Amino acid sequence: MTVFSLLAALIRRTPLGWAFQAIGLSVAVAVLGSVLILQRAADTRMTRDLAGVDLVVGAKGSPLQLVTATLFQVDAPTGNIPLTTLDILARDPLVQTAVPVSLGDSVGGDRIVGTTPAYAELYGATLAEGRTWRAPMEAVLGAATARRLSLDIGDTFAGEHGLSGGEAHTDRPYRVVGILEPSGSVIDRLVLTDLASVWALHGDHAENAGGVNNHAHDHDHAGTGAERQITAVLVRYRSPLGAVVLPRRIAGLPDLQPASPPEEARRLSALVGAGSDALAGLGLSLLGLSAIGFLISLSAAVGARRRELALLRALGAPPSRMLTLSLLEGAVLGLAGGLLGALAARLIAVVVARAGPGGFALPLPAVGPVEIMLVSLALSLGVIGAIVPGVLAARTDVIRTLRTV
Amino acid sequence: MVVTVDDLCLFAGEAVLLLGPSGSGKSTLLMTLAGLIAPVAGSVTLESERFDTLSARERDRRRGLRMGLVFQDIHGMPGLSVIANVLLGAFAVGAVQNRSDAKILLDRVGLSALADRRFETLSRGEAQRVAIARALLLRPAVILADEPTASLDDANADRIADLFVETARETGAALIVATHDHRLKRHIERVIDLGAGS
Repeated sequence: MTVFSLLAALIRRTPLGWAFQAIGLSVAVAVLGSVLILQRAADTRMTRDLAGVDLVVGAKGSPLQLVTATLFQVDAPTGNIPLTTLDILARDPLVQTAVPVSLGDSVGGDRIVGTTPAYAELYGATLAEGRTWRAPMEAVLGAATARRLSLDIGDTFAGEHGLSGGEAHTDRPYRVVGILEPSGSVIDRLVLTDLASVWALHGDHAENAGGVNNHAHDHDHAGTGAERQITAVLVRYRSPLGAVVLPRRIAGLPDLQPASPPEEARRLSALVGAGSDALAGLGLSLLGLSAIGFLISLSAAVGARRRELALLRALGAPPSRMLTLSLLEGAVLGLAGGLLGALAARLIAVVVARAGPGGFALPLPAVGPVEIMLVSLALSLGVIGAIVPGVLAARTDVIRTLRTV
Repeated sequence: MVVTVDDLCLFAGEAVLLLGPSGSGKSTLLMTLAGLIAPVAGSVTLESERFDTLSARERDRRRGLRMGLVFQDIHGMPGLSVIANVLLGAFAVGAVQNRSDAKILLDRVGLSALADRRFETLSRGEAQRVAIARALLLRPAVILADEPTASLDDANADRIADLFVETARETGAALIVATHDHRLKRHIERVIDLGAGS
């Protein structure tokens, strides 16, 4: 005979009511938990996609668009800038790394990025097999792209004109020479190639382009010779001084625009974060309601169990034991709801992350911290909700109960 | 209800019947003796020590350890096994739960075969016997029983009364039975008649 067997006996009296309480709590925990897990996943994904880039230099337009187009790869670029911009930035003593990005084509919905091998280094991506490109029309695929398009080393594919799929460049196919390891970042669903590949495919298309092209367009114009163009340059500063000097200097140049990825990411988070904050608020409200539900149902249970509680008191159980029994019941209820809710939260997060909102697979955080926090929260709510019923149980009127049965 | 008892003193193994109709105050007296109601005047002494002036916590503890209580209607806790119900009193006061003693007592009240059955499946008479076994488990100094034979037929009333008297005598406990059942006078000679009420 233990306090747990006694508790089990009390719960057996009203199993359905008890189960509904636990399920109600688990729903609240699941809503809050899934939002928290997905928020963390989105934050991780965003941080990885930013790749430690301090500054994006591109054509004038919306800085947010410049960042979303060149780092998150979800928007049309603001336009093109001269290739000479890359040389200027690369030689700047304030710049540690300057990586060109040239967008123009796609394959199966995944973007083809003309760049240098330094681009993969920004994301810490390594080759799973094959090698990096050495000549135009050689391509290295992100892990997700290779899997989705069923492409392997030596296979060829035709790039499609534009970023959302257009006429295929069947006359100039790419050849796969390397496949990257999965990195949990945007690079997983990109095709990387030489800048020259993009220029080769778009040489004719842009023969009239001169200087900077500012019109809204979802692909790069190549230019020719000294007029070669790229979409943007991704910059990492050599020192914090770069953040003070470079953006101002670039903003002063005609037709160039600096965009700070961390700042734009914050703006983006503020835009899309309102919805998840509302969901988290809903989860917290549900938790509060669950705690009130505990208080009401456990208080009602004290009334329903008055015979048993009076018997225990008459047999010598001190009031503190009655309070402990009630708090323990609240704790078990909280634990059950918390565990069930944490499990549901993880399942919801896995389903949502796999579905990949907007085509993005989210890197879920490891099982542990969020779940521990959720179960602890539910446990605390259970105990707090059981305090008043516990006091009522401790104050059971033995004489009145024994006389009225 | 005010009950006045001039003097009631019991020694180990003795038994007394508090006899009276409903409303005569016998249950009130029993609960006063159990420390659940404070006396308006006079005192309650248990094992040569003043009992009614102890702190509530200490009274609870002494009641649990030194008194065996059997109530008229509440005999045990549904959801628990029969043997767990016998051990319930020891659990309530945090005393050692001697399972073998509980089994012996269940054997004595004729319920050893039902030790693992759920309490709520027992008949009223069986439930009452569980309550008696529980009351005896910690070898109390006093057994207080409230209407233990109410609504029992003659044969069962005799059986229960014999059980009480014999086990109290064997364990050296004083037995106080509050009842309106005059049949019990055949088993317990000493009677305090509260028939007049007040």
